[in-house]
Amino acid sequence: MTFRKSHPLIKIVNSTLVDLPSPANLSVNWNYGSLLGLVLVIQLVSGIVLATRFSGHSDISFDSVISIYQDSNYGWLLRLVHSTGASFFFLFIYLHIGRGLYYGSYIYPEVWNIGVLIYLILMGTAFLGYVLPWGQMSYWAATVITNLLSAIPWLGSILVEWVWGGFAVGNPTLTRFFALHYLLPFVVTALVILHIFYLHLYGSSNPLGVSSNTNKVSFHYYYSVKDLYVYFVFFFIFMFFTLKYGYSFMDAENFIPANPLVTPTHIQPEWYFLFAYAILRSIPNKLGGVLGLVLAVMVLFLFSISSTQLLFSGTIYSPLARLTFWSLVSVFFLLTWLGSCPAESPYTEVALASTIAYFSLMV
Amino acid sequence: VILLTNQLKMGKGFGNLAYVRNQIWFTLSPYEQRPFAKAIKTGLPNTLRRITEEAPYVLPPLLLGYAIYSWTTSEAHRRSRKEYQAIHGGGH
Repeated sequence: MTFRKSHPLIKIVNSTLVDLPSPANLSVNWNYGSLLGLVLVIQLVSGIVLATRFSGHSDISFDSVISIYQDSNYGWLLRLVHSTGASFFFLFIYLHIGRGLYYGSYIYPEVWNIGVLIYLILMGTAFLGYVLPWGQMSYWAATVITNLLSAIPWLGSILVEWVWGGFAVGNPTLTRFFALHYLLPFVVTALVILHIFYLHLYGSSNPLGVSSNTNKVSFHYYYSVKDLYVYFVFFFIFMFFTLKYGYSFMDAENFIPANPLVTPTHIQPEWYFLFAYAILRSIPNKLGGVLGLVLAVMVLFLFSISSTQLLFSGTIYSPLARLTFWSLVSVFFLLTWLGSCPAESPYTEVALASTIAYFSLMV
Repeated sequence: VILLTNQLKMGKGFGNLAYVRNQIWFTLSPYEQRPFAKAIKTGLPNTLRRITEEAPYVLPPLLLGYAIYSWTTSEAHRRSRKEYQAIHGGGH
């Protein structure tokens, strides 16, 4: 037997990236998984190097970010890569989930549920990371989101003070957020390995939504080269975006050091949380808003529970399902835009209608 | 690790996928074909066909979403006008 099939460690790599039977008809929508793996590695490497230069104390963290820019070798590039990488991570994960919804990938329940769990932990990681620079938006986003815990009946206020490590967001909060932000990506990595393991038990789905067991090719060279090609395209777009529009996703408020006495006029999260933020604000009741926020993501778990193994999976064989899918995409865009609008009329009414539409379409 | 790799191998490796009878392969040597044959002549009309087949499902929801965005923006602008605020009462 050849070395790559006999060596105890190399044969794992072989069965994942070389001799893996893959459907012959995978489209570009199947590239997002490997792209997510690439962006995860980029975030891990850039994040760990940034962590060697960052100080996690509220008195000096803002200044340590400035020092990363001015004193560290290529610190400015690392910081921009890390912040742009987070945006691309969410772009690809939304495209990946969209692919899953469109082509019915939720018929693999373990793969799907682990994927939703990865998404949830990723959202937590991104939120924690955003707090670290200790700018105005960092501080006030932390205040808004941690205060959501107080909506929990009976335990709420104790829970919030426990998370804060005090009576408000402060240095203990920043310290533990840094520790968690460092830890969670490794949890994500472990879950990704499980996600891929379960996927390879079933084999990848394909755009036709039928079994591809009669038409498989080996992953290498077909999809290793295809993935590599898309990596180059991604690299070009990513570096172009990072170097030319690196600040386009940053909130101007976050260039001001955190001030507990001054509230920004428009507190809003990064673009990838805006749809959930719009759902949160559209429900007038505090607990209702928090439940809406949580359910907006948890509703994804319902797909694997309700689906059965179909001969033809996905929306491509049902015109109504395809219309529903694209309506969901449209509502998602609307909610993202509404999350950035002030909480005034007519935005609030449209946000409420969009929230109802979102849950109706999902269900 | 050993159990993992055995499962991966035995579960869905080549040779364990499907039983197919009477496979007949027809193939053409790469030296006897043009690599980009009909790429524009057939490829472009086919691309347009694939786009137009998807368009009735993609465009209506997105256009409706844009219409809602457009209306909401102009309505917000109208409600911030002095005349509207004088009739309906200003303030948040």
